[in-house]
Amino acid sequence: MVPFVRGGAEELCDHLVRNLRLTPGVEAEAMRLPFTWDPAEGLVDEMLIARTLELRNVDRLIPLKFPAYLARHPNKVLWLLHQYRQAYDLFDAGQSNIGPDARGNALRGMIRAADDQAFRESRRIFTLSPTGADRLRRYNGFGAEILPQPLNDPELFTGGEAEGYVLASGRVGLGKRQYLLVRAMRHAPGLRLVIAGPPDRPEDADELRRLAAAEGVEDRLTLDLRFLPRAELARLVNHATAVAYLPFDEDSVGYVTMEAFHAGKPVLSTMDAGGVLEIVRDGETGAVCESTPEALGAALSALAADPARAARLGRNARASLDARGITWPATVEKLLA
Amino acid sequence: MKIGLVSSAAPLINGGARFIVDWLREKLEERGHQVETVYVPNTDDPDTVLQQMAAFRMVRLEDYFERVIAFRPPAHVVRHPRKVVWFIHHIRIFYDLWDTPYRPVPDCAPQRALRAAVMRADTAALREAHSVFANSRVVADRLRRFNGVESEVLYPPVLRPELFVPGDYGDEIVCVCRMEDHKRQRLLVEAMRHARAPVRLRLCGAGTNADYVRSLRRAAAEGGVADRVAIEDRWITEEEKAAHLRNALASAYVPFDEDSYGYPTIEAAHARRPTVTVSDSGGVLEFVEDGATGLVAEPDPASVAAAFDRLHADRALARRLGANASERIGELGLDWDTVVEKLLA
Repeated sequence: MVPFVRGGAEELCDHLVRNLRLTPGVEAEAMRLPFTWDPAEGLVDEMLIARTLELRNVDRLIPLKFPAYLARHPNKVLWLLHQYRQAYDLFDAGQSNIGPDARGNALRGMIRAADDQAFRESRRIFTLSPTGADRLRRYNGFGAEILPQPLNDPELFTGGEAEGYVLASGRVGLGKRQYLLVRAMRHAPGLRLVIAGPPDRPEDADELRRLAAAEGVEDRLTLDLRFLPRAELARLVNHATAVAYLPFDEDSVGYVTMEAFHAGKPVLSTMDAGGVLEIVRDGETGAVCESTPEALGAALSALAADPARAARLGRNARASLDARGITWPATVEKLLA
Repeated sequence: MKIGLVSSAAPLINGGARFIVDWLREKLEERGHQVETVYVPNTDDPDTVLQQMAAFRMVRLEDYFERVIAFRPPAHVVRHPRKVVWFIHHIRIFYDLWDTPYRPVPDCAPQRALRAAVMRADTAALREAHSVFANSRVVADRLRRFNGVESEVLYPPVLRPELFVPGDYGDEIVCVCRMEDHKRQRLLVEAMRHARAPVRLRLCGAGTNADYVRSLRRAAAEGGVADRVAIEDRWITEEEKAAHLRNALASAYVPFDEDSYGYPTIEAAHARRPTVTVSDSGGVLEFVEDGATGLVAEPDPASVAAAFDRLHADRALARRLGANASERIGELGLDWDTVVEKLLA
């Protein structure tokens, strides 16, 4: 862990512990050590620390990240959220703090050897997504089962009366392409759009505001650019007509999709959205179109013009989410099997 | 200030060593500091003690924290330019327990070398600290004697003293602490057989040793006092603890040679209850003075029973000792403002 930083992995860890504790006969505790990766040579120390520590008094160890999964335990079930990607795919992509020289190669060799050892001694290995499993097979030659993260607080996303707006929730940034939705608005006359979520950088928020003014759609666009408390977010989702989510080549289905589907809302996405398309299907559980303002405008208009159809797609969406059966109790059961 | 609280812990084991960390965190955050707690897993297995110390030593903290406060060993060996150690005990098997039956290894050359290595590492880690506090006089004395390190005694306060509201003085003696052999609940159960007054005994606390708890129940049954001895072998909440103490006659806390006065003593004092302890309880005697803030009996059942009887016969005494104990807390500066100020100085 990185002190004072909270993200999806920390949320997942907390909810995992909470749900393990809800299981009869299970006691659970999370233990997290500060991790540093700069300079890269320090990674050897980081690995050694994880390998040296003594974890007694637990019947099962569920490590989530590098280098924690190097910890020794006779009954280790790995839910692999992160390898040190800069030693693997990010190195290949030229985005690594490990140099392409002899020292770097030796370091990557050590990481690879330590990882392989940890994977060999794990009783089972799960990854969050097919992408993670592919990476593990490609670089380390180990198979994994897919265990996606469940929605943490489904009880908030109850659904409700549609109030005639389309919601774009989730982090706000270039990769999530909210700007495409703003540019689509001129092709969807009368459409009301709400963009709600924390901007990755202050510039991302400024950019959207400027774009809204340039497109002349400010009167139909609400920008609520901050980290929303869960209850507030849920209220926005529950009363939307539909939810729009257009990440580029996402690894997984994404929390935004799960929240919308649980609330019985159809999701508008694009053909290049990656993992989202596992459950967002055009005309069944939402709408999928080209990632152009024109195509998005048409799709937004169609959803807004026929609330009854949107509601029907939303009911399908909820049914398809339920059919996936990805809940915390089912997840905990797999990790304890 | 960005502050890291670093301690060691066995997974899933709760106790005073975690309270001091978790409660300090709460108090630091109340005062506007950013705090992250790091519990590093460990065991006190002598075979791996040096490796574990080395691992603690390697954890990189200086990039993240402006100050690090280290607690349970071997957390005190971490590196940080502004490391404050609030020392709560040594790995005692290498220190004061070496010449006792509690030493788990033979007194042979390799083990003596290991002991010397641990001591050297401890001393070096303490010498480099920005400041060193001990949680009791006993621990401060050991730091001086074994490591030649001077420390200031900084007593840990309880989290929410306002929870402990005093009521009447009834006929129940309450003992809240982990159910472990060295906490000697056994002595209290046996004392009940000797007590002439109709006192009752309540033992509360979680334990790791089911045999010990069974032996307590058996002792109560064999002594014919099972109807007057309540045993709750589980973790109880602060609220439950306060409720038990509220109308108790006294609190009893009789560990063997404890390092510090212990939270049970202070909780009782906040509830204006006297503490019954015994003459070999160690740090408890820093707070419990016979006839002033409690009663100090000999570590045998008849003597402990006599203390019970005396308090039962003289509620005015129980009330007076309880009031004195409550005042003593103020005299010792046992409050969070004092603690936070010293740790961040």
